[in-house]
Amino acid sequence: MLKVKNLKVFYGAINALKDISFNLDEGEIVALIGANGAGKSTTLNTISGIIHPVSGEINYKDQDLTKISAPQIVQMGIVQVPEGRKIFTRMTVYENLEMGAYTIHDKIRVKNNIDKVFSIFPRLEERQRQMGGTLSGGEQQMLAIGRALMADPLLLLMDEPSMGLAPLLVEQIFEVIQNINQQGVSILLVEQNANMALSIADRAYVLETGKVTLSGDAEELMKNPIVKESYLGG
Amino acid sequence: MITAIKDGLRAGLITAIIFTFLILIGFTSVAANIIGDILGNPQVLNNETRLPVGNLLIFIALVGLFTGLVTLKKGSNPPWTDVLFRGLTGGILAGLIVGTVIYIVGSFHMEGVDFRAYLPNLGASQLGYLLFYSTPIAASKTYLLYFTVFSLVGALARKTLTMLTGLRNKLKSIKSQIIDWSDKKNFHSLVGNQLFQAGLIILVGIGLYFLPLVWGSYWNYIMGTVAIYILLGLGLNIIVGFSGQLVLGYVAFFATGAYTFALLTAPEPHAVGLNLWVAVGLSTLVSILTGLLLGLPILRLRGDYLAIVTLGFGEIVRILIRSDLLTPLTNGPKGVTNVGQPIWRGHVFSDVNYMHLLMLLVLAGLFIAKRLKDSRTGRAWIAIREDQTVAQATGVDTYKYKILALLLGAAFAGLSGALFASRNQFTGPEDFALMVSVNVLCIVIIGGMGSLPGIILGAFVLKGLPELLRELADYRLLAFGALLVVMMIVRPEGLWPGQNSKKGKMATFSNSLGEDNLEEKV
Repeated sequence: MLKVKNLKVFYGAINALKDISFNLDEGEIVALIGANGAGKSTTLNTISGIIHPVSGEINYKDQDLTKISAPQIVQMGIVQVPEGRKIFTRMTVYENLEMGAYTIHDKIRVKNNIDKVFSIFPRLEERQRQMGGTLSGGEQQMLAIGRALMADPLLLLMDEPSMGLAPLLVEQIFEVIQNINQQGVSILLVEQNANMALSIADRAYVLETGKVTLSGDAEELMKNPIVKESYLGG
Repeated sequence: MITAIKDGLRAGLITAIIFTFLILIGFTSVAANIIGDILGNPQVLNNETRLPVGNLLIFIALVGLFTGLVTLKKGSNPPWTDVLFRGLTGGILAGLIVGTVIYIVGSFHMEGVDFRAYLPNLGASQLGYLLFYSTPIAASKTYLLYFTVFSLVGALARKTLTMLTGLRNKLKSIKSQIIDWSDKKNFHSLVGNQLFQAGLIILVGIGLYFLPLVWGSYWNYIMGTVAIYILLGLGLNIIVGFSGQLVLGYVAFFATGAYTFALLTAPEPHAVGLNLWVAVGLSTLVSILTGLLLGLPILRLRGDYLAIVTLGFGEIVRILIRSDLLTPLTNGPKGVTNVGQPIWRGHVFSDVNYMHLLMLLVLAGLFIAKRLKDSRTGRAWIAIREDQTVAQATGVDTYKYKILALLLGAAFAGLSGALFASRNQFTGPEDFALMVSVNVLCIVIIGGMGSLPGIILGAFVLKGLPELLRELADYRLLAFGALLVVMMIVRPEGLWPGQNSKKGKMATFSNSLGEDNLEEKV
């Protein structure tokens, strides 16, 4: 479904991604794990079309995404859940969700999607008239995921969904991610919390300073001594 | 009870400080004069050296009312006895402080001390007026009495008002419950609102038609300026308020509009003699093109960088206009005179005609801005303002919408520029100094970012008030500046904030301009 080949990205003079290659098959959860500055978020932003690579290919359903604009990529079904629960703080929960369906012009479909999101996150329905900024951290993360679901994604790019959340909430969020996946949405998951990520992923890639250094089945990686020592806390 | 007294004392202290300040800059007598003008009381009584004390008393009463009003906090609804205490403590404290100041200053004045060396506005005639031409002790007693009584009245009035609005809200909620139950909420409120709005619009329309006929050319001039600034504010609001792009050189589009119109219609230096209405259209178009010229390369910038670049652009346009290089085209520093004025029913546009035209345009502008705000485009702009990266991630073509906002804003400026030049019959490079951009930006921010009624209010406060304060002469800008500072403390979200900034997290100014997006993650 998604094939990334030799991706290279610069921020000015800083070489953020040196050589990233990986692939994701339909229906999979693939995790990218790595420390701060490894290039995880950059990879996601490049796939979303927010950042443009210097060289390399991003192949999605036989089209090269590097030549397609961000709004069109959303329309093709690739939707990002940005890092740090970036929601629109001064829009209501409902408006945030509507914003998520910006590329959909069919009002009935938008309404159906909102109902769908509300059934996944009943908490959002309770708070639909509230301003996004007044939600708690966990609710904001739910809203960010809900907003991404509004665009009917085929591939969800999730950037650190566990960031800054209490352990209990993290578990809830990861359960939701698994549920979404079971409904047929492929997921590319970027995480620092390698333990959680590997526990739900099918496969994973380890990123280090802009390069893929390890890859394999999630279960195997969990047993890998290097991964254990560096990312799973010994 | 303790909070009540605290609130009262706080309100009293604030008014006392403001009022003392007003006395020191000599504003009290100006205000009294304005009140006299409004009420039609003669400024000078039979004895020429004495000003009418009644006007001053009315002003003091108004300040007292204000004290009472602010002793109650917004949204609170304390019991009546509590209100009584608030009004009394506020009024007494304010009266005591002001009374003491008056007593001290008055006593020195009686002993023949001349304050004008330190405070030029505190001359003998002023002080006599402030003392009501009686003794310091009697005058300070009057101040105390007035502040106390009217503060009490103010507090009680506020309480009554809160009760009335409470009743109205209760009615509303009952009504909405009924409508909710019949599940036709949107339909009902829509029809109700539209009927109400239509009626209101007709009433306001009639009022607006007759006002310029009645209030004379001086007011038409001031209000015309206000209207032009409302148009400018509406335009800049699309760029700054809706899409959140801090553009500081907005005056550039105003200037291109004014100059295009002037050069196409004035006999000098080109004698094109184009039809005026075509010229208006062309001015707007040229401003839009200028917007495109500026926007295509620079709208990829964010926050501070965008502000600096556009700031430079505004100055570049002004300097180019007056440069030797373009003097053959623009008439340089001399400006363009005899700019074309439209003909209406056989005679040249009068101030009343201009005022009517401006009012129509303001209404049209408001309508357009309102529709834009509620549209898909408006939603995209607000998303960009809130968070550009996320807007992009949800599928908004941010670049396209930012350009669109700039072009629409430029169109508003071009149109107002043409009207500005035509109304003044003159346009020169100095009309388009940096201060114009700053003023328009202030209108947008002071009114409340992204709020349309806020812009109207902001334009009145920023362009109308300084004109009305003209009698303060040298202290005009000081008083005005103080007012702005007070306002930003008391109402940081603007005089009439938009819905999106009223509730929820109060974002700071820089944050709402999207500067938090500056740091890219590596």
